[in-house]
Amino acid sequence: MKDVREEILARLLEVIASIPNIKAAYRNNVDIPEEALPAAIVFDGDEETSGADDRSARPSNRPYVVRMTPEILVAQQADQVGPELTALRRELIRRVLTDTQLIALVGGNGAIRYLGCQTDVGWMRSLHGVLMALFTFQYSLKIEEL
Amino acid sequence: MSIDYSALLYDPVYAELGVPATLTVGAAAAVDITVIDDTKPKVLPMAVTGSAGPAEARSVGPGAFARIYELAGKGIARADYADAVLAFNGRTWIARSWELRGSPLGEDWGEVRFMLKEAAVG
Repeated sequence: MKDVREEILARLLEVIASIPNIKAAYRNNVDIPEEALPAAIVFDGDEETSGADDRSARPSNRPYVVRMTPEILVAQQADQVGPELTALRRELIRRVLTDTQLIALVGGNGAIRYLGCQTDVGWMRSLHGVLMALFTFQYSLKIEEL
Repeated sequence: MSIDYSALLYDPVYAELGVPATLTVGAAAAVDITVIDDTKPKVLPMAVTGSAGPAEARSVGPGAFARIYELAGKGIARADYADAVLAFNGRTWIARSWELRGSPLGEDWGEVRFMLKEAAVG
């Protein structure tokens, strides 16, 4: 059994946990206490396949091209939260796009792309900032391997 | 004859619920005042567009009430509120913003709610 989607998401958690100064790394945790900040969270991403466009008579168990778009959220609380979020973003992008295990998981015909990020700020004990980065992973879904 | 809200309302409330505090404006000496601690739990949504739903960060929104007429009587004008250092209940904060809560006799006889941020360490 091989599930590339799950392997990518599990590896992403390891990658974000390795970002310097990140205190806590989670997968799909939606309730973050301030003591865990700066935190990074991987949210399982939406998935699209080439199936909708394929009207051929090929077997249903043929390989699909899958594009998964997980969301990675980085949150910090600090008086100067902007520069700190920028530093975390820099490390996040660099580590995801150059990780040899992720590159191997998507395979030779696959791709990893950084789509961009959104930011938000608000006041709590100090200035709270959030950065949500989007990546797309394109890989081959082989039904026989599931 | 108007009602003295300071003597009949605010002062008794602050005598019961208030705590001692010091307010420091710039390089001036700290001034002793009484505040009511209004620090509350605060949750900020963190936008997530996918199926995981919105994440939330939990912290506190620090705040404190003070009587405007007490501050004015001790030489602290509204122009001094910004970035004033307020210490009470064992913590030190900085006034990042504030809102006036006027009394029936006008804003000068009501309260100010300081919205605070953590004082930088070091």
